[in-house]
Amino acid sequence: MLKADIDADIFRETIDVISALVPECRLHVGESGIRTRAVDTANVAMVSIELSADAFNSFVATEAELGIDIAKMKNILGMMGKGDVLKMELPDEGHKLELAFGGYKYSVTLLDVNTIRKDPNPPTINLPGKAVLSGASLNNAVKAAAVISDKIALGIDPDAGIFYMEAEGDTDHIRLDLGGDDLISLEAAQARSLFSLDYLKDMGKVMSRAEKVEVHLGIDHPVKFSFAIAEGNGQVEYLLAPRIEAD
Amino acid sequence: MDFIVFSQLCERLEGISGRLEMIDVVSRAIPPLSEEELPIFVRFLMGKIFPDWSPLKVGIGPNLLFEAVAYVAGKKKGEVIDEINRIGDAGIALEHLLSSKEQTSFFSKSLDLVEVFRDFEYLARIEGTRTQREKLKVIRKLFADAQPIEGRYIARLLLGELRIGMGEGNMRDAIARAYQVEAALVEHAHQLTNDLGEVALLAKNGPDALRTVFIEPFRPVKMMLAQQGTIEDMMKNGGEVAAEFKYDGSRFQFHKKGDESRIYSRKLEEVTNALPDIVQHLSQATDHDVIFDGEVLAVRDGRTLPFQYVLRRFRRKHDIDAHVEQIEMIPMVFDLLYLDGRTLLDEPLLVRRELLETTLRAHVAPQVRSGDPQSIESFYRNALDKGHEGIMLKALDSLYTPGVRGRQWVKIKPAVDTMDLAVIGAEWGEGRRARVFGSFLLACQDEGELLPVGKVATGFSDEMLAEIYALLKDSVIAHSGKEVTFEPGTVFEVGYAELQQSPNYRSGFALRFPRFVRLRDDKSVDEIETLEQVKERYKKRITPA
Repeated sequence: MLKADIDADIFRETIDVISALVPECRLHVGESGIRTRAVDTANVAMVSIELSADAFNSFVATEAELGIDIAKMKNILGMMGKGDVLKMELPDEGHKLELAFGGYKYSVTLLDVNTIRKDPNPPTINLPGKAVLSGASLNNAVKAAAVISDKIALGIDPDAGIFYMEAEGDTDHIRLDLGGDDLISLEAAQARSLFSLDYLKDMGKVMSRAEKVEVHLGIDHPVKFSFAIAEGNGQVEYLLAPRIEAD
Repeated sequence: MDFIVFSQLCERLEGISGRLEMIDVVSRAIPPLSEEELPIFVRFLMGKIFPDWSPLKVGIGPNLLFEAVAYVAGKKKGEVIDEINRIGDAGIALEHLLSSKEQTSFFSKSLDLVEVFRDFEYLARIEGTRTQREKLKVIRKLFADAQPIEGRYIARLLLGELRIGMGEGNMRDAIARAYQVEAALVEHAHQLTNDLGEVALLAKNGPDALRTVFIEPFRPVKMMLAQQGTIEDMMKNGGEVAAEFKYDGSRFQFHKKGDESRIYSRKLEEVTNALPDIVQHLSQATDHDVIFDGEVLAVRDGRTLPFQYVLRRFRRKHDIDAHVEQIEMIPMVFDLLYLDGRTLLDEPLLVRRELLETTLRAHVAPQVRSGDPQSIESFYRNALDKGHEGIMLKALDSLYTPGVRGRQWVKIKPAVDTMDLAVIGAEWGEGRRARVFGSFLLACQDEGELLPVGKVATGFSDEMLAEIYALLKDSVIAHSGKEVTFEPGTVFEVGYAELQQSPNYRSGFALRFPRFVRLRDDKSVDEIETLEQVKERYKKRITPA
C-alpha cells in the first residue's frame, strides 16, 4: 500500500536520476520511504537511490515492491508543471498506480517485478581518493571532454593537490586541473581511471543540479559519485565501471 | 547448453563439407538438449533467431553491431570496419577485435544458449524513445561477456548470416535421425508449423506427436510453389487439370478468426496495415474462420498495373491512407488451407476448391477444368491477351504442400531469360549517379553459400536507383574503395543474353549483357536461383534443340 503527496519537482528529479541509466526498475516502498538499486543493461553502471519519507508532504506505506516503467513515468511527469503537487496512491494488492496532479489523473499499470532484473549487490570496492565539487563544474568538464573524445580519465594527483580530468581525441587533447578553491574538499590519494563519456554525459546532466558531488576514485577502479537530492532528504550513488586500455 | 559449446559446434560444422557428416554431428548434439534449449538450438544452427512465422525481428543492422564491438573493444568504429575489410569476414574480424576488451563491467558471466536467446528476444521487443541506445547496451553486454569465438557467432546470428551450411533439409534429417522418426513426418510437421524448432520438440515426443499437428490462424504457412512447365507435359497422362490465370500481382495469405484478420506476404511478413482494402473485401465476403491463398492485383482506372505497384504498397508503412485511393487493390483467392478449425492441406485440390467456393462469396479466382489440351491452350492465349503473365495448371488431386516447388502445380508462361539473384555488393555510380550505387554484384546460391555470377549496371531508371539505394544503404557491411559489400537480403530479377563459363566469378559462370528487370522484394535470398539451376540453363543453351 502506498499513499503519498510529493512536490512535482522532487519526484521528477528522482525519476531523472534513475532514467539516466535504466528504463525500468523495482521500486521498494516501506515505512521509511522509497528506494531502488539498479544496474544498466550492459552491467557497466549502477544507480542506488533512497528517498526518505521526509521528502514527501505526506507519506503512508507498507512494504511493497513495485515494477516501474521509468521511461513511461518520465513522459508522464513531463506533463507536470512547476509547483504542482503529485498525489500517488496504490491500494493493497493493487496493480495500478494512481497518479494525480493539476487536474490530471493517471492510472499507470505496474510492470510484473519478475520481469525486471533483481536489485544487484553493490560490489565491494575500496576507493581511497575523494574530491568534492559542485555538480555544475563536474558536468561542464564532462561536456568539454565529450567535444573531442568518447572517454575521459578522472584522477587525483596528491603531490599537486589536484583533482583532474583528461581526454584524448584523435588529434586533440584536453585537461582540466581543479585544486584549492575550485574544490569543496579533497582527500588526496593517487588515483586515475578511464571512463566512457557515453554514460558520464547522462549522469553529468543529472548531477549538474547538485550543490556538491563526492567523487570517489581509485587506480583503474570504478568511480562512485554520491550526492543529495530532495533538499537533503534523498541520497544517490552512481557507480561506473572503468575502461582499461590494453597496453 | 553453454554458448561456447554451441560456438565450437558451429566452428566444427563450418569445417565439414559433407552433408551426411554434418547431419550426423548435429543429430548427436540434439538428444541431450533440454526442452527449452532444443528449439533455440535448432533455429540458431540454421541461422534463424525466431520461427519463420514469427513477426519478431531483432532489428540490428551492421552499423549498430559494429558500434557495439567498437565500444567493448575500445576501438573506433572506422577501425572495426577496416578490420572487417582486411579480413573479409565480419564474424572473424569481430572475433579478432574481441580478443582484447577495454570496457569492464560489474557483473560478467559465461554465456548460455537460452540466455543469449532471451537477450535477442528482448532486443526484438524493445520499443520507445530510447530504443537504439537500449539495443546498443544489450549487444555491448553480449559482446562484453562473450569469449572471442562466441562473438563470431553472436555477430553472425544478429546479421542473419550464420552460413554454416545447415539448411532446412539437413536439419530435418538431423532431427529425424536424433529421435529415430521418419524424415517425411518431420517434413510434414514442418510444412504445417513452419518452425523446425517446434517440430524438434514434437519429434522428441515421438511420431504420434508429429502426426497431430494442425495449422492455425495468425501463424502463416509457406506458400505452395509451382515449377515452370509445359501444357503438353502436364496433360500427357490424360485426365482433367485445373487451370487458373497467373496474375502479375503479389502473393498473399489471408487469415481470419472471428473479427480479426491479418495478411501475410510471400515472405510471411505481416502486411495487414498496408492492405486495409484487401482486409475489408475479404472479411466482408466470408463468415468463417479461414486461411486463404491468393494474389493481390493493383488496378488503376480499371487497368491492371504491374507487380511493382503492389510491392510498393507492401513496403509502405506510413501514409497508407493517401495511397489507398490512388490505386485499387483487388484480391484473387485461389486456395483454402483452413476452415473453421479444420486443416485442409491434406485434402485434394478439388475438395479445397469446392469448399472455397461455398466459403467465399466474392473474389474467388476463376478456374477452368479440362482434359483437352486444345482448350487449355486457348485458355492460355486468352490469359496472355488479357495481360496476365500466363496460366497455372494444377493437378486436381494435388495436396497443398507448403514451401514445396513440386510438379503438382505448374506455371505456363512465355520463355524469358531472367533469374532471381541476390545482391551482395555494389559500386558507387559516376557522374549523375555519383550519390547512389550504380552497379550491383549478383550471386546465385549453392546450399546456402552465395556465389557471384556477374554485375548488373543497366536497366535502371534514376528513380529506381534512388529507391534501391534507400533500400540498401543500411545493409552495407564493408567498404573498399568504390565498392561496398551488403548483408544479403535483396533480390533482383535480372535478364541476360547469354550464359558463359567464366573463371572470373566463383560460381564458374558469368551473365552476358545482364539487365535489371525488377526488384523481387517478395522473395528472400533462400529462394534465388541455385547453382544447379544455373548449370541446367547452361546445358540447355549449348545442346542444340
